[in-house]
Amino acid sequence: MLLAAMPGGSAAGEKAAPKDAAAQAPGAAAAKAEKPAAEKPAAAKAEKPAAKTPAGPAPRVPDDKNQCITCHSSPDFAELQAELEKEGKKDRLRLAVITSALAADVHWQKGLRCQDCHGGDPTAEDFAPAHTGHGGLRSLKHADIPAFCGECHADTDYMRRYLPSPRTDQLAEYWTSGHGQKLKASGDDTAVATCISCHDKPHGSGLKPQPHGIRAVADLESPVYRTRLADTCAKCHSDEKLMKDRTYHNRPLGHHQNESWRQSVHGKALLEKGDLSAPTCNHCHGNHGALPPQVDSVANACGTCHGRAAKLFADTKMKHGFEQSKLPGCVTCHATRVDAGPPDSHLIRVPTDELLGMEQGAVCNECHNEQQPKHGVAGAKEAKALREGLDDLKAGIDYAREILDEADHLGMEVSKPRFDLRKATDALTNARVQIHSFDPVPVQKILDEGQGVLSDVQAAADKALREHDARRVWLGLTLVPILVVVVVLVLYIRTLPVAKPVST
Amino acid sequence: MRGPFAEWIGRVKSFFADRLGLEDLQKLADKKRVPIHRTSLFYFLGGMALFLFGIQVVTGVLLSLYYKPSPDQAFESVRAIMTEVEYGWLIRSVHSWSANLLIGVLALHLLTTYVMRAYRKPREFTWLTGVLLLAMFMAFGFSGYLLPWNQLAFFATKVGTAIVGAVPLVGKHFLLLARSGENVTGDTLARFYSLHVVILPLATFAVLGVHLYLVQKHGMSIPQGVVERFGGEDKVPSMPFVPHFLLRDMVGWYVALGLLAALAALFPWELGEKATPLGAPPPGIQPEWYFLFMFETLKQLPGRFFGFGWLEGEVVGVLFFGVCWLVVLLVPFLDPRAVQGHPRRLLNWLATWAVFAFILQTASGLGAIRLKLLASSLVQLGLLDPDPTILDSYRWLALVEAALWSAAATIAFRFGVRKWTVRESMQ
Repeated sequence: MLLAAMPGGSAAGEKAAPKDAAAQAPGAAAAKAEKPAAEKPAAAKAEKPAAKTPAGPAPRVPDDKNQCITCHSSPDFAELQAELEKEGKKDRLRLAVITSALAADVHWQKGLRCQDCHGGDPTAEDFAPAHTGHGGLRSLKHADIPAFCGECHADTDYMRRYLPSPRTDQLAEYWTSGHGQKLKASGDDTAVATCISCHDKPHGSGLKPQPHGIRAVADLESPVYRTRLADTCAKCHSDEKLMKDRTYHNRPLGHHQNESWRQSVHGKALLEKGDLSAPTCNHCHGNHGALPPQVDSVANACGTCHGRAAKLFADTKMKHGFEQSKLPGCVTCHATRVDAGPPDSHLIRVPTDELLGMEQGAVCNECHNEQQPKHGVAGAKEAKALREGLDDLKAGIDYAREILDEADHLGMEVSKPRFDLRKATDALTNARVQIHSFDPVPVQKILDEGQGVLSDVQAAADKALREHDARRVWLGLTLVPILVVVVVLVLYIRTLPVAKPVST
Repeated sequence: MRGPFAEWIGRVKSFFADRLGLEDLQKLADKKRVPIHRTSLFYFLGGMALFLFGIQVVTGVLLSLYYKPSPDQAFESVRAIMTEVEYGWLIRSVHSWSANLLIGVLALHLLTTYVMRAYRKPREFTWLTGVLLLAMFMAFGFSGYLLPWNQLAFFATKVGTAIVGAVPLVGKHFLLLARSGENVTGDTLARFYSLHVVILPLATFAVLGVHLYLVQKHGMSIPQGVVERFGGEDKVPSMPFVPHFLLRDMVGWYVALGLLAALAALFPWELGEKATPLGAPPPGIQPEWYFLFMFETLKQLPGRFFGFGWLEGEVVGVLFFGVCWLVVLLVPFLDPRAVQGHPRRLLNWLATWAVFAFILQTASGLGAIRLKLLASSLVQLGLLDPDPTILDSYRWLALVEAALWSAAATIAFRFGVRKWTVRESMQ
């Protein structure tokens, strides 16, 4: 690794550009170059361009002859760090590329090389021609990153060579997002997320031991993989200092979202149960166009997964009432309130039947009570009735399961009733979803169907247990003929001659 | 006057007699006699055991028509036997209970044979084959217990075979042989099935054949006291084997059958849950009652013996029971003066103590009694820390308590017997 041996100070041939975010973002490896970053490079379409650079197609050389790699790469971060520290050149660590990270980088794997993004001449062995050749190195500020990535990723024709149906709307979406709007407004706020903030630093940073470069989204190691995305967002959104005084539509952004989400039913489903269908940040907020859903669109966000419940809710008076009261739809009932505050939209609790009804802890009780008659006391009665119906069905299912287990344990045939019990469980699930219509009639119909199934199942289980008891009774009755035979034998034995000694 | 039916019976009899030489058997049966005395009731135990063994064979054959010895199918085949096969539940329940009854009857048979000193010359080999048969039937019980492949069966076998592994030097080999590997798996099931339906039956028939031959050859043993009282074996009252004793034996069989029906009615054998080898053992796992006394004792022994860190409690326990079995086997040779009627005080004391200890430990294993009096007394006196985790390391106190109670019962029993014997001799 020749980084340590290079001339001190800035790399020769580079303009001493102000310290920009691209250089600050470790691993960006955007060396300071002559060209100002504001220039939008012409999309040079050569016959077989490897990437789009201002100077057109970059020269291709085998990797073992690529001088960029020769100078800038190192196999071991710790070793490099020790070497540079010894030389007093620790600042050069940011220019280093760890070869294992590079090999894992998706761009590298697709055939893009240093010169395709950074410019420069990979064939030149000397410092100056390497950095000034082929148009020289490109310099990028933090605010330039989206456009820079968009040069390729927003070009359908270009991306098609790598993917048959590429998405190329990321850049356009980004500018509509909270991040994009903030970046535009601020000029170059380095705290605002750009592409590399989420998709990781390109080809590993020399500043800290990043084990990977930019990975494909579907790659398990990618910071935007489903199970890792929340932590990636949390890098900024859980940073109290960073989020201080930041607002969106005059609402403070806060920094508790990740902590709340991890404790929520969605977080636990994804992180503890490994359910990849559970939502993480992007499912509700969007990907590149990330924004918090508004009060009137919360139900739509939830409805992308909970379609049936959302549809039922959409047709109710409740939805209209919620919107009028500026209540955030589903979150109003399903989110946890911390310290009697407003509902925490990221801390969606496990929905249980206890949410329904008029008992302590039920959400209906919060509005449909005598202290607030405008919400309708009749709603309270209906809520109570629905809850009782659910509880009855649940208790019936538990009882049926218990007696089926008992019969099964005893060795009785109850496979059919056990299968039929599933219909009752389905009815319970259906009823719980139908609750969102806030109409007791269809809910009761489903509950009645469930009860019907239950009574058949319980009857079958009882029959099996009775049969078991009958077997025991009949077995016990067999003692009677056995006893009769014993008595007959004894009586016959008494008629036999008396025993005598054996004669010699 | 002979009726047509009697004539027909006579013709059928001669048809078989002429071809099968049944006359010799008839002569043998006519000659065989059974002595009558106060303890001749004990003679029925052997026939009862034979009857129960016959039930085992018949029900076992019926079960084998449907049973499938593989981990994927064993439990399901037993479930099918119990739910789909006509009266499969009955056959299974009878087979399971008959096994337990059989071992109980065999244990009683062993005990009564000991009491009557029926092992004295020339019947030593009858005793040896008898003890061997008891061990084989216990092996039958152990191997058959695994076959339903339910939770109880799996983990009881795992624990039971692990104990075998505690035998010094050869334990590991026995363990691997029994389990057909390191763990209890489908291979173990196949091996146990083979043991249960092929190896053990063949061996049992052979040993049983020798045992019955010896019983026929030497005749029924008469207690020495009875012989002396009547002045000779030939002067003791007796009854013909056929039909007198055989009919009485049949009464015994029907009593056993009634007991079997009552047990199957009151405590029908359950299916349980299918074994989950990777899961946790169900709480309170323990073997069948006839192994409980050993299991309970091994549980109570300390992990390491005081001052002898190299001596594992389990090893001591296994060796102790090995020695006990050896003593039982060699009883005829440990009581060489039985023929002369010399007393065998030490053996009697040991045997009585062993019986009481067996009863106490089995009751403790079944949860019918709790041997905690000694430990709680020491806690009361402040000599023992009441912390349950510390108390658990003193579980050997339960063993000491069992030994003491057995000893007390033995003393009471022996003195009671002596008083009764003296009173009898004075009458």
